[in-house]
Amino acid sequence: MGLELALILIVFLGVVILGSSRLGTMIQLFAAQSLVLSATPLLVHPGKHAVVMAFVTVVLKVFLMPNLLFWAIRHVSIRREVQPLVGYGKTLMLGGFLIGTAFFISSKLDLPVEETSNLLIPCAFSIIMIGFLLLVSRLKAITQVIGYLVMENGIFLFALLLLEKTPLLMEMGILLDIFVGVLIMGIVINHINEEFESTNTIHLTTLRD
Amino acid sequence: MLFILILLPLLSGVFAFLLSKNQQRKMVLLGTSFIHLIGVLSLWKSLPVAQLNGFLGMDVLGRLILTIISILFTTVSFYLWGYLKDEDNHSNRIFMAGLLIFLSAMTLVTMSRHMGLLWIAIEATTLFSAPLINFYRTPQSVEATWKYLLICSAGIALALLGTLFLAVAASKGETVFLDVLLNNASSLAIPWLKLSVIFLFVGYGTKMGLAPMHTWLPDAHSEAPSPVSALLSGALLNCAFLGILRVLQICAAAGQAAFARDLFLIMGLLSLVIAAIFVVGQSDYKRMFAYSSVENMGILAIGMGLGGIGLYGSLFHMINNAFAKGMVFLVTGNLYQIYQSKKISDIKGLLHYYPVTGIFLAIGFLAVTGVPPFGTFYSELMILNAAIQSGRYWVAFFYVLFLAVIFIGIAEGVLKMLHGGTKEQTANQTNQEDIRLIMPILFLGLIVLILGLYMPSFLDDALRESSKLLGGR
Repeated sequence: MGLELALILIVFLGVVILGSSRLGTMIQLFAAQSLVLSATPLLVHPGKHAVVMAFVTVVLKVFLMPNLLFWAIRHVSIRREVQPLVGYGKTLMLGGFLIGTAFFISSKLDLPVEETSNLLIPCAFSIIMIGFLLLVSRLKAITQVIGYLVMENGIFLFALLLLEKTPLLMEMGILLDIFVGVLIMGIVINHINEEFESTNTIHLTTLRD
Repeated sequence: MLFILILLPLLSGVFAFLLSKNQQRKMVLLGTSFIHLIGVLSLWKSLPVAQLNGFLGMDVLGRLILTIISILFTTVSFYLWGYLKDEDNHSNRIFMAGLLIFLSAMTLVTMSRHMGLLWIAIEATTLFSAPLINFYRTPQSVEATWKYLLICSAGIALALLGTLFLAVAASKGETVFLDVLLNNASSLAIPWLKLSVIFLFVGYGTKMGLAPMHTWLPDAHSEAPSPVSALLSGALLNCAFLGILRVLQICAAAGQAAFARDLFLIMGLLSLVIAAIFVVGQSDYKRMFAYSSVENMGILAIGMGLGGIGLYGSLFHMINNAFAKGMVFLVTGNLYQIYQSKKISDIKGLLHYYPVTGIFLAIGFLAVTGVPPFGTFYSELMILNAAIQSGRYWVAFFYVLFLAVIFIGIAEGVLKMLHGGTKEQTANQTNQEDIRLIMPILFLGLIVLILGLYMPSFLDDALRESSKLLGGR
């Protein structure tokens, strides 16, 4: 029961991120989504492994990464997505459609492993697709990073299916990689700011054939 | 031994970061890469046993790719010694540290015996090569770095999902150790395996620069400092290729090789088409050679897709291409230092003013496009042979057609740079060229030439054994 509530909350937060335009709000929503996410390992397989996972997720995804993203946009004056590639109404519609697709695909999949909840797989796919949608439909560098992170959150959910079998070392390595990735992306966003005086990737168009 | 090869560049990278002078950091780079090379060559005596609970290990395929990486890296370190002299007022702290950690990550890729660890290592190569591309911090290089980071990270995220699907497919087994997967391949759940293969292909294919996920590659290769371009195309792309080969290896063991081969063929031919379209009439010489990398990755994929002798040919082409492309990008480094421009139209009469660089540009061009007697010619011929032997005449036809178009496209650009523009200038005015920027190019050129003339028996054995791992005979 608790797990299902958490899963639905995570998808809900994903949809809210999709519909929001302010960068600060998006980062906070991502942090909130990650906070709910960090509880899921404990709900799936309570144990030492899950406690470590939850702790590291809270430290990295709820505290460090959002603060890093806030640091990256500290000099940005326009803190909202001005002109998204696809309008908000359309992205939300598309998001709803993708969630439907995720549920449809999941119902067709024949899982060889034991499921803890039949909502786990469809929710994971929904979040992955919402993240991907954010990544391709927005122009602000920071929004694209949030899209990437939301996608990673979805992959994290899917990985819960294999929580017992995955070595802890691997999971820590993956989280560390993502953290270093966000760190480097934050630094590059800073450089984009200095060079273009804007974090809008629409200016990044000099390289083309 | 394996552990040392990973830790040495990592610790040197941290050490280089703490040093205060550019000159000292160059020495650390040179020393570390040289010791790394000696260590790698010592692996050829016998393969070390698996370490760290089986996470680290080395097979013939990994050793082959690690050797390419280490030779190329050492050569580039020598080249950087001469290349970076002008930028001495500009701190190379992050650049050098990034370079060494990048080497460590690539070493880890070749030694991973666990699909999750492989993913971590390949993602780490993306992260630590990004600061290298952004060395000059021009608006263009920032743009290229951003595209590289974002496209590759998103692609690699799909590969992570693919790895998880693979774990679901192997849920009867322990976890996704490569050796466990290979031994119990028959018990894999086939639908999940196929799903994971698609995701892993798209993910690692993005990193390898296969079309249509290649869009980051021309930008990153053209905006990075030339020695870094040489490493990206010669070493990094091969790391991603190894990731895909591991997938092929699992498919072959599970009896699903035909499925994976079709994917290889489609992506390979598409890469050739894209490269042919963008090489012809290209105005930037580094972008031109970057598209040649897309072409060569396509050739590797086609060789793997054809199977049979194509496997051997593809692995042989991987070696040839790494050194040929490394050579040609180092030549573009010389060009950029002389002219401070990447436009083909800004360079004229190279053979006249800078004869040594000019001759090496001509040689490098012949080597990358596969003209005899260079090794690339023989490996491309083997892949053509595989297409004809397996009765895929359409593949053979388009393969030859696109190679010819790309040859003409690059020839046009290179000839424009080599000739012309001599009339306005006084005759016989040649310029001094730095020997430190010539020797590494000569060395790489010699390797490609020797591989075309003579195949050492140890290499022949290594290629044969590696193609056996991938389902060949």
